Amino acid sequence: MLLHILNRSPAASRVYQQALAAMGPEDRLLLIEDGVQGALPQLVRYFDGLQGRLFALREDLAARGLEGRCEASVQVVDVDGFVDLTEEAERTVSWY
Amino acid sequence: MATTAIARFVEVGGERVGLDPEGYLVDLGDWSPAVAVALAAEEGLSLTDEHWEVIDVLRAFYERFEMAPAMRPLVKAVGQALGPEKGRSIHLMRLFPGSPAKLGARLAGLPKPANCL
Amino acid sequence: MTEPTPSDLLVILRHGPHGTNWLREGLDAALVAAAFGRRVSLLFMGEGVTALLRGQQAGPLGQKGTSATLEMLEMYDIETLLVEEAALERFGLTEADLMLPVRRLSAEAISRQPGAHRLVLTF
Repeated sequence: MLLHILNRSPAASRVYQQALAAMGPEDRLLLIEDGVQGALPQLVRYFDGLQGRLFALREDLAARGLEGRCEASVQVVDVDGFVDLTEEAERTVSWY
Repeated sequence: MATTAIARFVEVGGERVGLDPEGYLVDLGDWSPAVAVALAAEEGLSLTDEHWEVIDVLRAFYERFEMAPAMRPLVKAVGQALGPEKGRSIHLMRLFPGSPAKLGARLAGLPKPANCL
Repeated sequence: MTEPTPSDLLVILRHGPHGTNWLREGLDAALVAAAFGRRVSLLFMGEGVTALLRGQQAGPLGQKGTSATLEMLEMYDIETLLVEEAALERFGLTEADLMLPVRRLSAEAISRQPGAHRLVLTF
C-alpha cells in the first residue's frame, strides 16, 4: 500500500487525475495544502471510489478556514496522523 | 552554456588558455590536440594512441548528446566504438587514472561530467 | 511480455520540453540513479508524452532542448520507457511520432507501476 500525497486543488489543476491514475486499489490519498479543497462536499466527487482511503490534513484545512466544512467520508488527520500514514505505507508518492 | 570565471591558465604554444577552478576549459572552443597534450602533461601523462582514441569517443559523445558521459556510459561508448576489450573500466582507469570520466572529459575539452562521482 | 520488468526507480515525467525545467530535472535524476547502477524506468504521463516527439529543436533563444538527453538514455542503460496510452491519444500521437521505442500502458497498467518500484519520483 502506497501513500499518495496531492497538494493541488482539483478545482484548479488536473494533477489529481494523474494521482488517481497511478493509484493501486489499496493505495491511500492524502490531500495537503491547496489539495484540501478536494475534501469539500462540492469537490469530493473528483475522488469517487476512494471511500475510506481519502485523507485531508487538518492544519491545511484550518489555515484555509475549511475545517468543519469537509465531507464526512474524508478522514481528517493532523501532522501526527500524517506521520502515521507515512509509516503505514510502503512508501509515498508526491503529486504536485 | 554556463560561463565560468577563469581561475588559471595553461600555456599552449605561447598562448594562454583559460581554465576553470577544476581545470576544465572555460571556452570549449579553445580545445585542440595541443591543449590536450598540455593538460595531460599537468597530470604527468603523455598521450598515446590509446588515449587519443578514447578522447575521440568522448568528443563524439558530447557532439551527439550535448553532455559529457559519466563512467558507465563512457565504458559503454568506448566498447561500442573500439570493441569490448577496450570497453572496460580497467582499461580506462589505466589510461586516465583516478576518475576516467572526469580526467577524460578534461583532456577532451568537454565540460565536467554531471551525474558523476 | 505484458509486465514490465520491475526496476529500482520509477521516474514519472509529466511535463513537456522547454516550458519548464521539470523534464530536465527528472531526466537528471534518472541519469544520476543510472550512473550509480540503479535500474531505472521512465513513465511519461500527461503532457510528458510530448517530450518524446520527433523533430525537436533548440528554443527561439537558442536554449538547449532535452531530445539529445533522451537519445542518450540508452547509453545509461535506461531502456524501459513507458507511456500513458490515454495521453498519447489526447495529444493525437502514435508511436510513429515518437523518437524512441516505448511501451504503451493502459490506465490499469499504470495504476500498478508505482507499487512495482522501490522508489517513485514525480517530476
